[in-house]
Amino acid sequence: MTGFVIRRLLWTIPVILLVIFFTFVLMRQIEGNPFRTSERAVPESIQRNLERRFGLDQPWYVQYAKYVQGVFTFDLGPSLVLRNRDVNEIVRTHFPPSLQLGAFAMIFALVFGIPLGMLSALRANTFLDYSAMFVSNVGFAIPSFLISTLLIYFFALKWGDWTGLPTSGWDSWQSKILPTIALGLGPMAYFARLVRGTMLETLQQDYIRTARAKGLRWRRVVIVHTLRNSLIPVVTAAGPILGFLITGSFIVEQIFAIPGIGTYYVDAVEARDYSVVMGLTVLLSVIVILANMVVDILYGYLDPRTRDARS
Amino acid sequence: MSTPTPKPVTSGATIPLDVGHAPTAGAPIRQSNLWKDAWYRYRRNRAALFAGAVFIGMVAFCLIYPVISPHDPYDVNFADARQGPSLEHPLGTDTFGRDVLTRTALGGRISIGIGFAATFIILVIGVTYGSISGFIGGHLDNGMMRFLDALYGLPYLPFAIITLAIIGDAGFWAMAVALSIATWFTTARIVRGQIITLKENDYVRAAKTLGARWQRVLMRHLIPNTLGILIIAVFLELPGVILGEAFLSFIGLGIGPPDASWGSMAQEGYEVYRVFPLLIIVPSVAIATLILCANFIADGLRDALDPRTRET
Repeated sequence: MTGFVIRRLLWTIPVILLVIFFTFVLMRQIEGNPFRTSERAVPESIQRNLERRFGLDQPWYVQYAKYVQGVFTFDLGPSLVLRNRDVNEIVRTHFPPSLQLGAFAMIFALVFGIPLGMLSALRANTFLDYSAMFVSNVGFAIPSFLISTLLIYFFALKWGDWTGLPTSGWDSWQSKILPTIALGLGPMAYFARLVRGTMLETLQQDYIRTARAKGLRWRRVVIVHTLRNSLIPVVTAAGPILGFLITGSFIVEQIFAIPGIGTYYVDAVEARDYSVVMGLTVLLSVIVILANMVVDILYGYLDPRTRDARS
Repeated sequence: MSTPTPKPVTSGATIPLDVGHAPTAGAPIRQSNLWKDAWYRYRRNRAALFAGAVFIGMVAFCLIYPVISPHDPYDVNFADARQGPSLEHPLGTDTFGRDVLTRTALGGRISIGIGFAATFIILVIGVTYGSISGFIGGHLDNGMMRFLDALYGLPYLPFAIITLAIIGDAGFWAMAVALSIATWFTTARIVRGQIITLKENDYVRAAKTLGARWQRVLMRHLIPNTLGILIIAVFLELPGVILGEAFLSFIGLGIGPPDASWGSMAQEGYEVYRVFPLLIIVPSVAIATLILCANFIADGLRDALDPRTRET
């Protein structure tokens, strides 16, 4: 097990290097220059000075090496557009709301999705099952901008006097309720379908029949024997779910005016602020890579058969 | 076009399908073909059948309605702005007085078109990558899969946004490329897995042992088997891509006016949702319906074309 963990930890280093490289190559293809946009045009000589200051005049491999060095020492460089702000500072101010939103949405999805899936599996092919699965299929298909808008329209505008929920912001606890639901609904539907599927499968296993034949109470069979084994796929679903949350947060943050990474990202692309775009892309990618690593290790712990296959 | 179902046997009532039935003694054994079997299995999944009909209906509507509609989708007329549903405008009019139903059909052409174009690119990359990796095997396969592992789960939206910034203007193909650049990993993996399984199959070995030429092995065994997976993959990838297009257009990086996609229509609707929510609801519901249908079709196709995976 220790060997497996160490191998898995070491493996993330080349992966992170590769992803930085991928992002770096892409970023360099973008036409245009942060110092050459019309409203901030500067004379040629100053431009050259600026490029020298930010290292843009050096060959690409030097820039890449410097950047990698920066990533591993937690220094993502200065912003090219906003003077006197560096990417680290932007991450420090804009990342906490995004992280909080993602965590809340995840908790919401787990707390409501798993019981919904369990209920569907235990009452398979009943009206309850069909309606729960219909709701989660629809919940998975509706774009988050419609969910967000409908939530605001009804709970903050129409019934606002009664619910007391604000339409935007991220300061009071009331303001966090609607964005959490908006972002968490999709993952909730995903979990519900996942748990239902695996649970139906687990319920047909021989050891469940044995447990029942031994005379164990049904509740114990469900909770101890079925649920535990049905939750393994939920752990491994972290990858897609994380992607889902990141993608969704771009929209949800925009609509609820949350000062997070997603909102900032789009602005940075339009301002051609390379270092900010790259910093944020690399940050999001590294989060996904680390999450994949944790999931792999957890999976190796939960199901020892996978250790050899992946080493 | 995009018929989700394999070539149907429409006169099924008169031709007895012998799937699952023992042939009557003495009667000639009717050879059952792959697509007939698949259609038989697909038909039994009523949700998928219904979803397929709705899907085809929506595509047909988007293609035909702008042609026969009495309203010009680009004609701005502020006198008619933001009307509710009426006989003349079944879904009302938008902020510029344009007929929403016509605009929705027009936007559907672009959204669905980009969806299929991006899916096509994903399949081309995925099949090329996956089959090279699977056919050649060994160290190359190992390395290529490690590379895929590295990229697995990366959030596609930042990379799509960067790609759009590289291409410069968000046209049809720019969107298709942007949406496929970080989404082909799953398809590549599926294709590689299928190729490896097929290579090891006893019937492929048997065919080779019996002296079948490689062309026959390819045409008779390998191609039909990957084709099924690919048709499923189309409907697995389509929802994500269509949603991605909507997201990009919604944050203002996609198709711009006067053209419309469902995402950009939703964005226009979002501007006025407090006073006239219909404008965001119509395109969003169109997106949701299409995605829902694609999901059910994918389920049905999986049962129909890849029955061995049904249990998982």
